[in-house]
Amino acid sequence: MDTILETRNLTKVYRADGVATPALRGVNLAVAAGEFVSVMGPSGCGKSTLLYLAGLLATPTDGTVIVAGTDAGSLSDGGRTHLRRAHIGFVFQRFNLLPTLSAEDNVALALRLRGTAVADRPRDMLRAVGLEEKRRRRPNQLSVGEQQRVAIARALVTQPAVLLADEPTGNLDSTSSEQVMDLVSRLHAESGQAVVLISHNEQVAARADRLVRMRDGQLID
Amino acid sequence: MLPLANIMARKVRTAISVLAVGVGVALFLVLVGLTSMLGEIARRTTRVEAHLMVWPASDQVVVSGGLPADKVEADLEAVPGVSHAIPVLRWPFKMAGRVQNVYGIRPADWRFFAQPDQMIDGRTLEGGWEMVIDSRLAGAGGYAVGQTVERWGRRFTIVGIAREGVAGRVFMPIDTVSEALQQRGRRASFFYVRVSDPGQVAAARDAIRERGLNVFTMDEFYHVLASSFVDMDLVIGSVVFVAAFVCFLVILLTVYTMVVERTREIGILKGIGASRMQIFGLILAEAGLIAAGGIGVGFLLTWGARTLILHLQPLWTCEIPPVRFAYAAALAAVGTFLGALHPAMRAANQDPVESLRYE
Repeated sequence: MDTILETRNLTKVYRADGVATPALRGVNLAVAAGEFVSVMGPSGCGKSTLLYLAGLLATPTDGTVIVAGTDAGSLSDGGRTHLRRAHIGFVFQRFNLLPTLSAEDNVALALRLRGTAVADRPRDMLRAVGLEEKRRRRPNQLSVGEQQRVAIARALVTQPAVLLADEPTGNLDSTSSEQVMDLVSRLHAESGQAVVLISHNEQVAARADRLVRMRDGQLID
Repeated sequence: MLPLANIMARKVRTAISVLAVGVGVALFLVLVGLTSMLGEIARRTTRVEAHLMVWPASDQVVVSGGLPADKVEADLEAVPGVSHAIPVLRWPFKMAGRVQNVYGIRPADWRFFAQPDQMIDGRTLEGGWEMVIDSRLAGAGGYAVGQTVERWGRRFTIVGIAREGVAGRVFMPIDTVSEALQQRGRRASFFYVRVSDPGQVAAARDAIRERGLNVFTMDEFYHVLASSFVDMDLVIGSVVFVAAFVCFLVILLTVYTMVVERTREIGILKGIGASRMQIFGLILAEAGLIAAGGIGVGFLLTWGARTLILHLQPLWTCEIPPVRFAYAAALAAVGTFLGALHPAMRAANQDPVESLRYE
């Protein structure tokens, strides 16, 4: 199977007031198209940093990220934005919906930013996550579980090749967590998109095709 | 969609910002409009069928209170090329709650001050204790033909109303003004002078100047009047600058606050695919919406302020040419752009990861 996302010797060192703090130490990870990978590890081990670098939201100190065959290290900021738009969808732990927009407009925004025709796609996507009836509600009128489902709809409406999810159940109770993971699994199975999911939760992580563990900025298995 | 939703999410702050821009726009337009009053006076004063204005040298004014009308008239008409010397005795006279300059003229000279069709009611001056006023003063004071006005211990009858635009707002026979002021002999504050050949205006002016009098062509006098307003223009310019600067600061503060407050949202937008230019454009669009609202409110405030001013001071002039509205809108747009530029650049360059971690 083709590799859709690959990190090579990915290294990130944060510097503040002359102090260097390594967050990632030469991470090599390849994700095949359609593969569901979970990344587990203790707090501060570099999981989120790996996700942000893989999602091209941050630039590595060393190493490179290859998305759909394109080496992001050779691209400008605009080029990385273009590559991210074309192939990557994000789901965050804190949902990160825009509070001034309705659920439908939050989903539509992802299309508008790409200059893509909106039409009924946001509504269809909200129907797929079971929130068509609540599409006109703002985030503060939705439960936390519903907000995360809207965030998943927003991430998937552009049909990205890779969905990067940063602890998507971290702020949810067990019932909502179960529902969200059922949704992620179902959509993954239906659409064939690759998923890279970060989680503390063994049960959540166990839904993946492959489990990867991290410690001190390195992959350990 | 998003810019509008964002500014509507903070209604009070947006309303205050819009109002601040609107006040700046209105201040600019109303002040510019009020400067037209000075130009209107200059235009009226020089809108006479004459080529030159002759004023006494300053020492003559102090010593005698004007020029001996008959002697100076004869001297002026002796100048080659001069066809008419038209004496005017000007004196302050309170009507409609404001001091007006009465133009004391010879009734026969009325033809130099107005076209026949400019009389919209009554008749022109004939002599005695009577006056002709302009339509603006008539409207402001509620005056009508036949009405009498008591001043200087005399009773004056309004015999005619001329359409506004004539040199003075009040005209009386020059002998009447002299008698009311108990002057010995006919005197004149200044003269209008007609030259038979317009090509000889400069030569006539120079010849009159050699007689020790202050003399100006109508254009020169208009510019002398206009230049005397320079200090006021500076004051108005300063106020306009301060108003524009306050607008700029309001937008800067508003947009900067919006950007800081929405640091996390900017990270989200980048996370879901927004480019730097899109973030930059989003912030400018929000500022632009505030500016557009401010310009609209400013135009409304201008209309309201102008209406109020002309209601309270009907003899004031507040003409605002359409181009000034465009200029005010452009000024507000530029101020807004400059005010929003730094916050927009800050937003566009925000690190998305740090933004997403922002609490």
